[in-house]
Amino acid sequence: MSRRPPRGEYIETDTGNKVARKATLVGTQNIMLGGKTVIQPEVMIRGDLNTAVSIGRYCFLSRGCCLRPPGRMYKGAFTYMPLRMVDHVFVGPGSIVQAASIGSHVHIGARVAIGEFAIIKDYVRILDGTVVPPNMVIPSFSIVAGQPARIIGEVPEGGHDAFELRDLYKTVGNNPQPAV
Amino acid sequence: MAPRKNQRRLAPLGCLPAPGRPAHPPLEASSSALLAESAQLVGTFPVTLCSESVIHPRARIDAQAGAVHVGKRCIVHERAVVGAVGASGRVVAMGVTLGDYVTVETGATVEAGDTAVGEGTTVGAGSVVGAGANVGKNCTLTAYTVIKAGEVVPDYTVVYSNGLRRIDRRGVEVLKQKAQARQIDVLRRLIPSKPEKFMPAPPKVKQQQQPPPQAS
Repeated sequence: MSRRPPRGEYIETDTGNKVARKATLVGTQNIMLGGKTVIQPEVMIRGDLNTAVSIGRYCFLSRGCCLRPPGRMYKGAFTYMPLRMVDHVFVGPGSIVQAASIGSHVHIGARVAIGEFAIIKDYVRILDGTVVPPNMVIPSFSIVAGQPARIIGEVPEGGHDAFELRDLYKTVGNNPQPAV
Repeated sequence: MAPRKNQRRLAPLGCLPAPGRPAHPPLEASSSALLAESAQLVGTFPVTLCSESVIHPRARIDAQAGAVHVGKRCIVHERAVVGAVGASGRVVAMGVTLGDYVTVETGATVEAGDTAVGEGTTVGAGSVVGAGANVGKNCTLTAYTVIKAGEVVPDYTVVYSNGLRRIDRRGVEVLKQKAQARQIDVLRRLIPSKPEKFMPAPPKVKQQQQPPPQAS
């Protein structure tokens, strides 16, 4: 009998990141995880494009989403720029994110496309199927939907707790806890 | 009825995979084309990659329902599928033709079945171009656009907002082509190319074994 514990679906690091074995992380030297980040299966992160992809704490990348740094012509040369994601960012299944920066407590729904160099501030909710055009700046506390994305409302007072992802973090991993 | 011999007519014999090697379609890639190692090439119809085209990692070129032609300086991003078997499952000789300077972005699908995408067109992230569609030159399909099977999109059309169309009159196509060339220069430095992975193994040359020198 082998003494090795059974291989779980996730790799759990010392800092609490849970990275699925079936996730595709290309160019890991450029991918920075802040800790307690969940990366589900079939997620793809492009770190091989010579620029950093930094992810904060308690981020949740759902199944099948894709993160890639944006690129553009800059001073006569084509350059890829870093993709920065702060804390408590939820990325829904099948979404494609090419933003320049995403603030903290942002909820991105399923099958959302975020165009290159979009800037999303804090406490933003992006509904399912939204197409955020390139270079769009979304102010804090807005709710965004549509193709192309428009601001359709504001996050109500007291609605900020819904963005916390600490509980969601506990529900996945090799020994998940049931949701409260 | 006697069983037909030689059923796989389209794949020349030299391209049949050696036992233990995954089957790859017969590939004709320019030496300057960039084909990432983790890209997928499947099917039996021939695949052509013209000069300086880039196939990102995890992109899929599917020659199961027809041949795939990728023009000069095209970029096929990760997770894009070029030549997906359409809903009808029809198999034709020419599956997909991508013109020069075409970009197929992340997660987009171009179905096979005499589908043509014209020069300088961008197929946005997550879009679907149906089988037999004919997308003109210098079009832009924004993210999650669906072009139905057999649809014709005229030149310089921008398809956005779930199917609305307008004509792009900016006249920036030359600039865009220059930017694409620069982008490919950068990608060439970043992505290691492994076209030989998809080529049939060269026939092993039997080395003449020299008799060991005999000590006198």
